[in-house]
Amino acid sequence: MTLGAAERTFETAQQALEACYEFGWTDGLPVVPATAEAVAEMLAAGGLEPGEVLGTVPTRNVTVTAEKTAINAVMAGCRAEYFPVVVAAVRAHLQTKANSHSTTATLAGAAHAVIVNGPVRHDLGIQSGQACFGPGFRANATIGRALRLVIRNVCRAVPGELDRASFSWPLRYSFCFGENEEASDWVPLHVQLGYQLDDSVVTVQSVMRLIQVTEFDAEPEKILDAIWEHARHAGLLRDEWAGDGRSVVVVIGTEHQLRLLHDGWTKERIANYLWPRMTADTVGKYDNKLHLAAPANIMIVAAGGPGIAQSWLLVPHLAIPTHELVRSPSGAA
Amino acid sequence: MALVILDPTNGPIDAASGFVTAPRPADLKGLTFGIMANGLGDSETMFDALCAGLAESDGVADVVKVVKASVAVPPSPEEWDRFTASASVAVTGLGGCGSCSTRSMRDALDLEAAGIPAVCIVHSALVPAVRAMARLVGCPDYPIVTIDYPHNPTGVWTKEEARALAREIAPAVRQRLTQAS
Repeated sequence: MTLGAAERTFETAQQALEACYEFGWTDGLPVVPATAEAVAEMLAAGGLEPGEVLGTVPTRNVTVTAEKTAINAVMAGCRAEYFPVVVAAVRAHLQTKANSHSTTATLAGAAHAVIVNGPVRHDLGIQSGQACFGPGFRANATIGRALRLVIRNVCRAVPGELDRASFSWPLRYSFCFGENEEASDWVPLHVQLGYQLDDSVVTVQSVMRLIQVTEFDAEPEKILDAIWEHARHAGLLRDEWAGDGRSVVVVIGTEHQLRLLHDGWTKERIANYLWPRMTADTVGKYDNKLHLAAPANIMIVAAGGPGIAQSWLLVPHLAIPTHELVRSPSGAA
Repeated sequence: MALVILDPTNGPIDAASGFVTAPRPADLKGLTFGIMANGLGDSETMFDALCAGLAESDGVADVVKVVKASVAVPPSPEEWDRFTASASVAVTGLGGCGSCSTRSMRDALDLEAAGIPAVCIVHSALVPAVRAMARLVGCPDYPIVTIDYPHNPTGVWTKEEARALAREIAPAVRQRLTQAS
């Protein structure tokens, strides 16, 4: 396998690491030295040739290849077997309607949630349960970080250059979690999107706001009322270019899910309950309609662990959620 | 033993060179003035007033305007064709947020490459952003017109403020779009 990236030679790993900082190749955290052997192993795990194009950012003259993605995946700390998920996340992020340029140059500092469904969660240890949004899980941390390093190093979203976030935020280091499909008989997100149950799929949602909804009432309608009331504080404007695909992701936590399941609530019923309430006309200064075309634009995902009665809203930037099948090295799903 | 590592980037942002701007007309008289707007805040009011003012002061004959469907996307192919078929000179913007400023700068640079003299209207807060975009295409010193504080970067202005801004920037726009530059 012939790689095309420029090489840099150092005497020690510490010197290489310091050089990565000097060159501006890191997110501020240490990176793993990307040797040709490690990158080749990554590409082999994905069944990809170095020059295969995963996508582009036309506004920036950027083409993202498998090789550059593999280098950044190594640097992020991924194991080689994570690479098909990284590739799916990068491909999803580079779909036109994911609006890479806008979501990564914005003053608002949008993040990107990588939501994983299917058997690959178990194969790789992608956490969907307790503490799944946070640190402690190599697959979650490094897959999400790999996407962010690609956005930084390949797509040129470097603070001071084309990353113009006024504050930015910690989710831009990494944000990856799985759906807890086993917690119930709810239809998993990827099946709702048209994939087979045994497919593994990555969905990428831009995240302009991450809103916590804590509601201790046991009555399902009261829980859902808290969700749409929190959502309406933020609101969601219509964007003609993004069109009817713009969606919010509602991550239903374990305690809320148990109460909803107890009373027989399905994802479809939840979305049908929330949609008219989220999209009703604005009535006050701190009340804002969400422009969501249909109940299907409320994407319900189960995740998190037991304890606090909590769910989360992932409100998008100027993009729609995009999804990609995780492909095995042979090219099959 | 030496450690050899691979470059994770697409190279330096300023690697391109040789960008050529479009030839400028002597003046704006009788020309069709193009507005490639992104709809940010109240900037459309400013652009409309700018065009009306230049019609009165400089004899601009006609206007073609595109308001893109989102603040930081390219014009659609149909919008691009309609715009470039008639615009003699053009302004783009408002460069008032991170993604829209850089995209508006790209719009101006793309118009230059298509032979249409252009200028991007940018808030001073976003000058480093559009400079990065200019470096990316190999034209680091590409002229812009700036708006400054106390005006809000993201175009949250009153109508009168927007019209006053149009009057303020008109001389600089004229200069950038003609041989006076």
